[in-house]
Amino acid sequence: MSNAQAAFKRLVLGRPMSSGELEHTLLPKVIALPIFSSDALSSVAYATQEILLVLGLVGISALAHVLPIALAVGSLLSIVVISYRQTVRAYPSGGGAYIVAHENLGVFPGLLAASSLLIDYVLTVAVSVVAGVDAIVSASPGLERYSVEISVGFVAFVAIANLRGVRESGTLFAIPTYGFIFSMYLLIVTGFVKCLGGCPTAESAHLALKPEVSALGLFILLKAFAAGTTALTGVEAISNGVPAFRYPQSKNAATTLAILGTISISMFLGISWLSHVMKVRYLDTAKFLALTGHAERSVIAQIAYGVFHGGPIFYFIQIMTAAILILAANTAFADFPRLASILARDRFMPRQFMNRGDRLVFSNGIIILATLASLLVAVFKANLNHLIQLYLVGVFISFTLSQSGMVMHWKKTHERGWQRSAIINGFGAAMTAVVLTVVVITKFAGGAWIVVCAIPILITMMRSINKHYENVRTELAHPQRRPLDRRPGNHHVIIVVSNVDAATSRAVGYARAMRAADVTGIVLDPADSAPWHRLAPEIPLRVATGRSEIDNVLQVVQQKRADLTEDDFLTVMIPEILESQHLVEVFRHPRTYRLKSTLLRQRGVQVLDIPLLRKQIDPTIDQAHEPARNYAFVLVSGVHNATLQALEYAETLRPTDLRAVSFGLDPDATQRLGDNWLRDRIPHPLEIEDSPFRDIALSLLQYLRQFRPDGLDKVVTVVLPEFVVTKRRHQILHNQTALLVKRRLLFEPGIVTVSVPYHLSES
Amino acid sequence: MSVSNVIEKLGRSPEDIRAENLRRWVTSINEVTTIKDVKARERTRVAGVIQNIRIDPRNGRDAIEATIIDGTDRMVAKWLGRASLSGIQLGMGLIMEGVPGAGPDGMLVMLNPEYVLVPGPEHG
Repeated sequence: MSNAQAAFKRLVLGRPMSSGELEHTLLPKVIALPIFSSDALSSVAYATQEILLVLGLVGISALAHVLPIALAVGSLLSIVVISYRQTVRAYPSGGGAYIVAHENLGVFPGLLAASSLLIDYVLTVAVSVVAGVDAIVSASPGLERYSVEISVGFVAFVAIANLRGVRESGTLFAIPTYGFIFSMYLLIVTGFVKCLGGCPTAESAHLALKPEVSALGLFILLKAFAAGTTALTGVEAISNGVPAFRYPQSKNAATTLAILGTISISMFLGISWLSHVMKVRYLDTAKFLALTGHAERSVIAQIAYGVFHGGPIFYFIQIMTAAILILAANTAFADFPRLASILARDRFMPRQFMNRGDRLVFSNGIIILATLASLLVAVFKANLNHLIQLYLVGVFISFTLSQSGMVMHWKKTHERGWQRSAIINGFGAAMTAVVLTVVVITKFAGGAWIVVCAIPILITMMRSINKHYENVRTELAHPQRRPLDRRPGNHHVIIVVSNVDAATSRAVGYARAMRAADVTGIVLDPADSAPWHRLAPEIPLRVATGRSEIDNVLQVVQQKRADLTEDDFLTVMIPEILESQHLVEVFRHPRTYRLKSTLLRQRGVQVLDIPLLRKQIDPTIDQAHEPARNYAFVLVSGVHNATLQALEYAETLRPTDLRAVSFGLDPDATQRLGDNWLRDRIPHPLEIEDSPFRDIALSLLQYLRQFRPDGLDKVVTVVLPEFVVTKRRHQILHNQTALLVKRRLLFEPGIVTVSVPYHLSES
Repeated sequence: MSVSNVIEKLGRSPEDIRAENLRRWVTSINEVTTIKDVKARERTRVAGVIQNIRIDPRNGRDAIEATIIDGTDRMVAKWLGRASLSGIQLGMGLIMEGVPGAGPDGMLVMLNPEYVLVPGPEHG
């Protein structure tokens, strides 16, 4: 990365933090409340509206049912809060639905919970941001045409805040959350006081709803109730976030959860009551537009406008509502990456989700979440009513699984008072299961079917990833495929020459120094034959001309490989001259890139890359020069067959010094590596180096520079064990580190990289 | 945070900030010498964070080396004949006492020092 790029990244994201600074990001309750509760609190902004929308379809008299329905939703909310307080106490290390279900109910329920949660988080971002933009549009009509653009902009804003890290976001988000709580109570209390002398009426009170379109049946009541349960979304956030609290973590988290429940229920009931006494009507936005010719305001906006007759307080309330909704998305940005990292640790998602970025946050999870949410907003054209149809299925699946898991937990532990706890959680599970059924039935046609279909797809994907990782693990430990103590065979070399130049002469020098059994050159242009014979008269040359250069090279390599025994190594050397130190250079040679990746898929073929920057060529040297010293480093992550094969390979390079290096990201994993190294008596030194800023490529580069390679007398060879899988779609699960390292080392003088592929059979 | 504070923070490299945190941590430990003030062949007590672990099973005896840094310099602890790392981890704090000698590359090495492992400043 160039200096300018690095400076820009620092300006946007902040300075890189070392792994140890993680500890300092623990949160006090006052900051934790806004971080983990903005989602739950903000749903007050649209829960009442969703109930009115359903009841309004039936007719004016049906609207009277808003209060009993709100009370029912409020009771359900308190049941769920009480239930979750137990989870927080039982799981101080964070008890998201996935962990609880996985530990107590088994793998499949765990994955069901995980996929529901992942979908839920994406929808939280989409729904919250769109609802927030609705609040803005309600206050400044005319902007509704740009809803999609504004929403996507806010998603990006929250994503960047989160890439910076959780503590900074905490301070940033405290003000809007407390501002929203204040403004809601101000609205409810003022509304109540005004009602003592006759309630103000909402602007939509005289809206002509058809008196009675259809009979008010049980189904409609259930549907309205299901719609109102959006008030429950986000309650679970605290249970995921216990480790982010200050000590005593469980107690602080449980207290925060109780505060959250109290505030949330009182605000929701207050708003629902006001909507009833002020006779607020709410229609589908499209219908409202057709009926009246102007855009519809949200329910909160109508109430606030009615109580304060417009004016600064009305705008204050709208701004706070928009702010908390947009920042509610933040809850998902804290939880999605964390869940993804846990799933990656359990091998259900690609390993990359475990990597912490510059600022100690799980950057990959944040970026994926922002992308998916933006897509959803765009596809649904920022329509809140449509998005919300998808929302509740995932929420209630995870509630139900989490509570059921807790029942099993109490049965297993038999702690003091476990029966009482089991009954509380059992009741919670039963209630949320009933609501889940209602939600699926009433919202299926409206969009919930999308989620119902997506969940099994996600589960299948996660199982397939898991199966693959497990297969790889078994194969890498398989004693019959263990190359250790297998006497390495002979080493054969093919040099691919696209030009007889300084890089080629370095390749010749390298091949001579390693005393390979035999060396062959391939030129692609017959005109290169003469200069080649001057450079390396002892090395036989094949001229490969034909339609496709890659096919020609491949043919020679395959012929050669067929003559060798299984224990022999066949290294294909690819010397290349790079014009500039820019990353563009990588794309300037698509043919070389394609050649390398084709060769890597060949069994028993290793690819050695000798890059040389144009400006580093010494014009006074026109002969091949044998390096006097060759330091070989095998990059390892664990003791397994691929590592052992790479070590065997490195031995046959006849380096002056050979050692394995590893860069510690996870202290436990590196300690395991060290102990296994000693246990298996690997006959080479191993160095484990800390990478405090979690940038393996950079740490490796700094490590290698201390050997001061010049490419002529002193060469550093980096041996990278890589995996070749049978199914192409699995390739993304491997070699990401190797890829990064190769790209970074490409421009470093005197460093040669070798990929030693390990072919997985997955039988 | 003031503007000048921000500019100052942007100007300093992350490595500098880390070294400063390490120095602050070391001063909180009793009776240790900062590594840059240590002289060879004099009994001393130092503390630092494990930055590198080296395992060398060659020559028939298992040698384990841990390089510690304290924000001023680095020093190596070397144990012979150990069969496992047993707690020696990257990022852990290591307080050790012994007589250091000069190693092959000029770095100070303490052979089989008396030591305690403590949580580092960076790991809880």
